[in-house]
Amino acid sequence: MKIARRQRNTALITLTPLVDVMLILLVFFMVTSTYLDLDMMPMVERGENPDQIAPNSGTDGATTLLIQVNANGEARLRGQTLTPAALSEALRANPDARVLILPSGFADVQSLVSVIEAATAAGVTNLRVVRLEAAE
Amino acid sequence: MKLKRRKRTVPQETIVSLIDVIFFLLVFFMMVGRMDATAPFDVAPPISLAGTDMPQGGTTISVAEDGRLALDGVELAEADLLDGIRSQLVNDPDLFVRINAHGRARLQKLLPLVSKLERVGVPDVVLVVTPNPE
Repeated sequence: MKIARRQRNTALITLTPLVDVMLILLVFFMVTSTYLDLDMMPMVERGENPDQIAPNSGTDGATTLLIQVNANGEARLRGQTLTPAALSEALRANPDARVLILPSGFADVQSLVSVIEAATAAGVTNLRVVRLEAAE
Repeated sequence: MKLKRRKRTVPQETIVSLIDVIFFLLVFFMMVGRMDATAPFDVAPPISLAGTDMPQGGTTISVAEDGRLALDGVELAEADLLDGIRSQLVNDPDLFVRINAHGRARLQKLLPLVSKLERVGVPDVVLVVTPNPE
């Protein structure tokens, strides 16, 4: 008598649960994500010595310009109130200058960022934000 | 003569291409998105075109328009926030700190905070800006 060999059943792997899980993950990421286009401006950089911020510490003879930002967010350079475009134009004549920004504590972050942006557009690379602090 | 009715064959739909597309989209969203704790208050960062690309990682301090502070999505008082930063610095001395401040927040809150972070020993502090107003 010939015994028939049983056919081996190949296990069928169903992909449906995988698709379900991936679809859930996809929907989760699409729903919970908020896509913002964010950039950055350095405030403290590695290796920076805060003592170097003193205005009279420059030894390279470069011109130092002081930009004041008042409580209304207006920038003043050499006693003149300037718009960001005018400020950029004024700084463009001297891009190697050391620029110090002294903002009022009542000015908002946007006004400081606008001044930094104007200075950067003028090609200024030596830029620092200073603030007055009560002596301890 | 009796005609034999042909058996209607159900076309087999393959879901492999669907899986491919879903997987592709899933990987796309995972790659382009950066998981970040959202601030417990509304923060609209200042607008600037002078910003540079922000690296991944680090910790986020949020500053609300009225001066409230949050560290990685948890609202904290300034002293607690600095304690949190100190404890993170123990594990990671190269800690990268992002300050996500509202564009209308006062500098009298932001600038002293930056000085305190510097004194605590944070080597890298950046201010978050956006090139596109919402």
